[in-house]
Amino acid sequence: MRVRQQIIPYLFLLPALILLIVFNLLPTIATVVESTFVISLRSGERVFAGFANYNRIFNDPVFWKSLQVTVVFSLIVNPLQIALALGLSMLINQKLPGIGIFRSIYLLPVAVSLNVTAIVWRLMLDQNTGMINGILFNLGIERQPFLHSVDLALWSIIMIASWIGVPLWSLFILAGLQNIPPPVLEAAKIDGANAWQSFTRITLPLLRRVLAFVLVADTVANFLLFAPILLTTQGGPQLSTNLILYETYRRGFVYGDLGASAAMLSVMLVIVFIIVGLELYVLRGQD
Amino acid sequence: MSDAINPATARASSAKRHGKPLRATLTPGIVYTLLIIGVLIVVIPLMWAMAASFTPNHKVFEYAYPFTWRALLPVDFTMEAYDNLFARGFGRAIANTFFLAIATVIIGGAVNALAGFAFGRFEFRGKNVLFLTIIMLSFLVPVDLTAIPRYILVNSFGWINTWQGLLIPGLANSLVIFLFRQFFADIPQELIDAARVDGATWLRVLISIILPISKPVLVAAGLLMFISQWNSFFWPLLVAPRQELRVVQVEISLAVGQYGTIWNELLAGSMIAAVVPILLVIPFQRYYVEAITGTGLE
Repeated sequence: MRVRQQIIPYLFLLPALILLIVFNLLPTIATVVESTFVISLRSGERVFAGFANYNRIFNDPVFWKSLQVTVVFSLIVNPLQIALALGLSMLINQKLPGIGIFRSIYLLPVAVSLNVTAIVWRLMLDQNTGMINGILFNLGIERQPFLHSVDLALWSIIMIASWIGVPLWSLFILAGLQNIPPPVLEAAKIDGANAWQSFTRITLPLLRRVLAFVLVADTVANFLLFAPILLTTQGGPQLSTNLILYETYRRGFVYGDLGASAAMLSVMLVIVFIIVGLELYVLRGQD
Repeated sequence: MSDAINPATARASSAKRHGKPLRATLTPGIVYTLLIIGVLIVVIPLMWAMAASFTPNHKVFEYAYPFTWRALLPVDFTMEAYDNLFARGFGRAIANTFFLAIATVIIGGAVNALAGFAFGRFEFRGKNVLFLTIIMLSFLVPVDLTAIPRYILVNSFGWINTWQGLLIPGLANSLVIFLFRQFFADIPQELIDAARVDGATWLRVLISIILPISKPVLVAAGLLMFISQWNSFFWPLLVAPRQELRVVQVEISLAVGQYGTIWNELLAGSMIAAVVPILLVIPFQRYYVEAITGTGLE
């Protein structure tokens, strides 16, 4: 190719690269930089503070509680969503009459925003008049304070997140299932494998790549869950649903403490990089 | 195949005689039952919310507690909630969101298609490094995680409460660049060579040869950009809280606090926010599913 042409691909790339560098990469670096500054109470100026913000958050029980809630939440919500998504994808992968209609219906939550989901479920889970308590009443079970009790609030958030998460991740797993050549399963059948054997010995190993991707993507998405917290529990009761992104938002925007907020985000960046590094490692080794 | 030699093959071949060996534990009856339970979980909240948005406010919970089927249908039909919502200026939020989403599709589409074209069709120095660092990194670090520093940056540009602040940071989208790259890389070289021999510039090749045959990727990328902009919340909440610039998702989220007890209006706003992406996804579901799952499986 001639030299003059060599400039063409760079010209085509330029707008996208500038935008990604300025609005995606710079803020990532800025997060780390910002975490070393504090706003001076005396002068109101931004001054370098080294690890002061980190010292503050690492000595702050609210931060540790928030991290703990996020870890507990992740350990429940991710396996739950993936197991249910796997089950759902196996169901909608069956070649049965009308299965297309079911697939369309299960696409509805994927199209709806987390906000709408959170608002509708907030009213559905209302302690006094919500429909879920209405159904429990019909069954003779007493009212449950779904969003107002330390025991139930996190489970309610898990349910709200899963209403979208399960159908969403099942789409990925379904695509993986459809990539399994039918002759492979036929061969297993001829060799005398029953349904459970062909699932555990053939389907699951062939889905490993998809499942690894879904596990990481799901973990990152749930690690950054925000809207349902803002719109339902706002971290309560007693910080039992105070997930980490909501806590950084509260620090930064409700209390105006951008330094502490940036320090927390830097810790989160490290965690996300570890998860993403695992993703690259798992996905790289297979090709 | 010879018959039963050991018990395992005996079971398998007897199952085979019944016609559905692999579904021995998953009969159509069980599948349909489980699918219908799932459908109820998906559909009941949406039906109730839709019905309640067409119900007078004091009757929103009337049939929900205790629960009767009437909760799922607008038996006390009224447009009151929608009338009040629009009187309060919700139309402005809808117009804002449409404007923002369409601008994102058009400008962002051009930006991302050009980048996808460069990555899909050209060999150039630094290609892999650029792809791995900038594109992959921005793909892997979720935008919500860096929203607060991005806010500080955009603030230093003086873009808080402006259209630039809402629109520009979301234009370049590495997922969409992936989609375009994948599609453009699969176009046969002869098509491009023929036009190049005739002396067409690369921009001309892109516009008159490539774009006309790229409908599938344009639909998929367009849907993805439109719906993610329509549903985006955290960034517009931070960068443009001013009333005149509010988008639908922000307006309904603020309504939770401000009009928290005017449930039918809250639900009417939520249903408008939900219906637009649903109406786009259902007719184009194949494209949409491919758009969101494509890159994950690459």
